[in-house]
Amino acid sequence: MAKIWTQKKGFLDDNAWGYLADEAKFLTLEEFVSTNDNNVALRIEPADDVILLADHLDRIGIIALNFPMFSDGRAFSHGALLRDRLKFKGDVRAFGHVLLDQVPLMLRCGISSFEVSDDATIKHLNAGHIPAISHHYQPSMNEPAKANSYSWRYMANISQ
Amino acid sequence: MYRYDEFDHAFVAERVAQFKDQVERRVSGDISEDAFKPLRLMNGVYLQLHAYMLRVAVPYGTLSPVQMRKLAHIARTYDRGYGHFTTRQNIQFNWPKLSDIPTILEELASVEMHAIQTSGNCIRNVTTDQFAGAAADEIADPRPYAEILRQWSSVHPEFSFLPRKFKIAVTGAPTDRAAIQVHDIGLQIVKNDDGDIGFKVYIGGGQGRTPMIAKKVRDFLPEADLLSYTTAIMRVYNLNGRRDNKYKARIKILVHETGLEELKSQIEAEWQHLKDTELKLPQNDIEAILTYFAAPKLADRAEGWGELAQWKKADQSFSNWVQQNVGPHQHPDYGTVTISLKPIGGVPGDATDAQMDLVADLAEEFGNDEIRVTHEQNLVFPHVAFADLEPLYRALKSNGLATGNVGLVTDIIACPGLDYCALANARSIPVAQEISNRFGNAERQKTIGELKIKISGCINACGHHHVGHIGILGVEKKGAELYQITLGGSADENTSVGKIMGPGFEPHEITDAIEKVVDTYLQLRKADDESFIEAYRRLGMEPFKTALYGEKTTA
Repeated sequence: MAKIWTQKKGFLDDNAWGYLADEAKFLTLEEFVSTNDNNVALRIEPADDVILLADHLDRIGIIALNFPMFSDGRAFSHGALLRDRLKFKGDVRAFGHVLLDQVPLMLRCGISSFEVSDDATIKHLNAGHIPAISHHYQPSMNEPAKANSYSWRYMANISQ
Repeated sequence: MYRYDEFDHAFVAERVAQFKDQVERRVSGDISEDAFKPLRLMNGVYLQLHAYMLRVAVPYGTLSPVQMRKLAHIARTYDRGYGHFTTRQNIQFNWPKLSDIPTILEELASVEMHAIQTSGNCIRNVTTDQFAGAAADEIADPRPYAEILRQWSSVHPEFSFLPRKFKIAVTGAPTDRAAIQVHDIGLQIVKNDDGDIGFKVYIGGGQGRTPMIAKKVRDFLPEADLLSYTTAIMRVYNLNGRRDNKYKARIKILVHETGLEELKSQIEAEWQHLKDTELKLPQNDIEAILTYFAAPKLADRAEGWGELAQWKKADQSFSNWVQQNVGPHQHPDYGTVTISLKPIGGVPGDATDAQMDLVADLAEEFGNDEIRVTHEQNLVFPHVAFADLEPLYRALKSNGLATGNVGLVTDIIACPGLDYCALANARSIPVAQEISNRFGNAERQKTIGELKIKISGCINACGHHHVGHIGILGVEKKGAELYQITLGGSADENTSVGKIMGPGFEPHEITDAIEKVVDTYLQLRKADDESFIEAYRRLGMEPFKTALYGEKTTA
């Protein structure tokens, strides 16, 4: 069974948006651009161009990024573009094949909530076990602290 | 050379602990074999035919004596007493136990080494010219830029699940010894009219089953923009590279299918958003990294000129070795020395623990504490005084390391092939050994002159056969090994992909066939100094084909 996890609150009891694994209705990019609805739940597929959302951000309630296979890394770039380029401030959720060892990278790409179905991943997240590295050689989207070093180095912000 | 600071040490320690945890979760069943595979690959652990293989990163091929001794220790303690230096300037151990690997990683971390991103669909070890910081023709040292790229690419959150592996090479000299045009990104250091350092940028080169020569996307990228522009390339590739077919997933296919101009404009558009962000390199950070690679203070040793002349006169084999293995240095009293790991009839790129220990000792005694690994699977001391060449040669010779064949017909690149590799269709090593034995005579090699033979045991082309002057590709036909010959490849500043000659040869025929090609060249060359590749470019395939397969018959 799918569960929603965030780094701040752990597993959430309530989930207003429903579970994509249970076919909750999230609009596709095509559906979204042809409506004028507000507070929309939107799903982004790996081949989508998230830059098309630039003029519609205020109508979006949540953006869910699909990881159809853990090996498909396109949604990492989607996360980075949504945060860094479009300055999207709302919830960005990972769904699909979300596994424990990808979670630290997803956080760094600006993903803020996780729909998780994998039992082992749920078990480890529940135990507070996130296999992350706190020393970063690149900027990330989850506001790490500048390391007292070269410009490209950062430290994970552990207060999150 | 670069030395870890506290940040680097802490990072590698965290990465080792992370991998240890991943191995434990795999053992407990919390990670499936499918999901574990990319995780272990990203830490250099392959499953081969007979055992696990651990590929250790040698960043841009640079090693200290302390690191070399640690590699010897690992070979002796956890493996069968040898290691194999690869065409990516790395070293791989062929027989470690999976359970020993976390301990090996801790041993490596103690000497500032690791196995991060030596495999997997991520940015791999950045490679460069083995003579960096020493070569007489260098515009600027490429290692500082390779080091900045190494750091920036380490556990990159956005680019760890790319469509396919990604290889970057940097050269600082107009003579390209880093084969940059067969890399996903090739960077050539250039100076503009104001004397500023920048890069000519190439993308989309690669070998594998679809060899392609890289295309130029920029004539001058200022050094401050190195990371922002590379990020732009990576992002365009990550989003648009094909993921439906792993044989079409490299950036070379994206370049080919999208068209250079269109892709270039996509990269430029992305870069416009990135160039003035935190990815822009501050001058003081570049300078801080440059400091690590400051040229060693080499004392004048003018006495070496006279001594060298006398030694050469007294010993023909020493003279041969100097001619082939010693190259021009920025300092007139010094040379670069290549230590051939291609003894006649040996396994290309292999070194025993004792040899590695000896190389470490000699680097301290004669080599300014620096060792390099070349993509042609040899070792290099970049700074050796002429006055030290003779004692160095004696010490190398007594341990089978003084073969004077660099750039000659027996300086063969070969992949591990079917003796080790699960992907291979045919053996590579025995073919290399037989060819090496056939042409082993020093006089004969010298007569033939520069000739690069490269052997791959399958279409993935790890042995670089596409860019061999003579390339040999092992294929499987009806359950038997068969070897195709290509001619005319080259991986230097005039990169070209070799062309297939015709039907393949059986294992017992291949050496004879190579000999026929070489003999044909010797008969047809205009002068003794027309090299094989020059002669091939003048003559084309036809005379070689006729020699091997007979006259063309009209149907």
